[in-house]
Amino acid sequence: MAVSTDTAVLVRKPAAEKKETLGQHLRRHWKNYLYLAPAVIFVGVFFVTSIVYTVYLSFFEADGFSEPVFVGLRNYITLFGDSNFRISVMNTIIWVVCSFIISVVIPLLLAILISRSARPSIFKNIFYFPNAISQTVGGLIIKIMIGLYGIPQLFGLLGWDWLVRDWLAVPYVNTFLIILAGMWQGVGLNMILFIVGINNIDSSPIEAASIEGAGTFQMYSKVILPLLKPTFLVVFLMSLVNSFKVFDSIWVMTKGGPYRSSETLALTMYEESFIRNKIGLGSAVAVVLTIVIIIVSYFNLKNTFRTDS
Amino acid sequence: MRTKRSTKVVITCILSLLSLIWISPVVFALFSGFKSKQEYNLGNFWDLPQQNLLLENIDYINKNADLFLSMGNSFLYAFLGAFFAVAMALLAAFAISHLEIRGRMGWFMFIYSGTIFPFQIYLIPVFRGYSKLGLYNTRLGMVLFYSAICVPFCMFVLRNFFIGISREIMESARIDGANDFQILTRILLPMATAPVAVVFLTQFSWAWNDLMFGLTFTKSVEVRTVMTTLSLMGDNNVPALMLACLCASVPTLLFFSFLQKKFETGFVYTSK
Repeated sequence: MAVSTDTAVLVRKPAAEKKETLGQHLRRHWKNYLYLAPAVIFVGVFFVTSIVYTVYLSFFEADGFSEPVFVGLRNYITLFGDSNFRISVMNTIIWVVCSFIISVVIPLLLAILISRSARPSIFKNIFYFPNAISQTVGGLIIKIMIGLYGIPQLFGLLGWDWLVRDWLAVPYVNTFLIILAGMWQGVGLNMILFIVGINNIDSSPIEAASIEGAGTFQMYSKVILPLLKPTFLVVFLMSLVNSFKVFDSIWVMTKGGPYRSSETLALTMYEESFIRNKIGLGSAVAVVLTIVIIIVSYFNLKNTFRTDS
Repeated sequence: MRTKRSTKVVITCILSLLSLIWISPVVFALFSGFKSKQEYNLGNFWDLPQQNLLLENIDYINKNADLFLSMGNSFLYAFLGAFFAVAMALLAAFAISHLEIRGRMGWFMFIYSGTIFPFQIYLIPVFRGYSKLGLYNTRLGMVLFYSAICVPFCMFVLRNFFIGISREIMESARIDGANDFQILTRILLPMATAPVAVVFLTQFSWAWNDLMFGLTFTKSVEVRTVMTTLSLMGDNNVPALMLACLCASVPTLLFFSFLQKKFETGFVYTSK
């Protein structure tokens, strides 16, 4: 048999490389896999095994000290019957919907205004600036600013006494305030992406439209916005995925409270696993969050790799 | 498209007003840093500081909050984490884009999957594993974790850059007798200084700014990250807290000013 393969190699040399068995391939190219090894080992050890282990733990009742007890789907059933979890899901949906409006519409308006202003680069830097500080720092500064000694004091001076209260302690209002703080920090990045998009638009359709006598509004609605569609998609999907993951700013502003009223799924997972030591339940929350994010990411990835090739 | 002069003036005015609102929280934090605790609590938050207590406040955040110690820790974690991540990502991206390997796309997706899942899913397993191995609440554990978590994104960006480089350059180097590693370090790396710098800085900033993992994997003051320290300070001394916030933002603000000239180029690499 060895002889016949040898002749095959002699006869059809170019095709021979493709016919190589895995063993031969590894013998010849094993060095190439060494380049992959560090990254693959790190990602495998830290993340791939983590995902498997979290899914596994979500079927157990575990407190981190005693031996875990297998409970099947009970963690998931408990979760969906729990009113705290339902509030958390509701808050997550509020975050996602608001982040769509806030992180797509406002940055786009800013980008359009900035591209037509007298000093684009200065404004660009000012609106991007809060993005350069961390969510923790941004959250803390805004928390102090809207706390009792901050802006409510100003309302008191104006005689609007009903507005003088610690707004972050008011259930359901606090979520919107944290979203606003996130907006202050977040619009900059999307705005830059839109500005880059606007600057990269080919000028010929715009010139053609202006020769045809298109007004400013028509110019935007009929020509510029349709051409910005790829940027839209990137910004929209990126903000969507990120809005599920917010942790830092909620943690420093309210810790999810009061009465767990401002928790999102990311917070509930932390609260259950590390504050209440219900590791199995926390894992179940993590799994639910992961499933939702994977569904959303699927569209994101499809879009990423479409533009890639 | 031309903008009329009058429209331009109106737009610039609107944006200037918005800009004032936009920077007001930072200005507020800056002014508070000069005040004393009493002055802040008794006066109005918009009052200008009456005296200069900056040094006293710095002394407070150093002694009572150990801010500078945790800034040192975070610098170590973020610097080494980003460094090792870029090194591993360079090797992997090179193999995936230019070396002969089987299952190219599979390896790529395996490494890239690290960015798809929500980070919360890693908390419990890494926490428990670290507790068993004695890596919980250690500097080594933090460096290893930040190295790992920065790899996928770096690999993604560098691979995108490498596949744009033509194979002919490498073939001619190979004919001249260069081996694969020399091709990576002598030819590709010098070409890739810009994307390498961008991913290094973004990953450094990411690790520096991270709160969740620092909060979960550290306990004692000696190991704590800077954002964890800030989150634990509490707001009974507001001027010190605001000053600490500003100090903790210095490194990322420096990067911001460094990168702002290359804004667009930077985003071309990272947002692809």
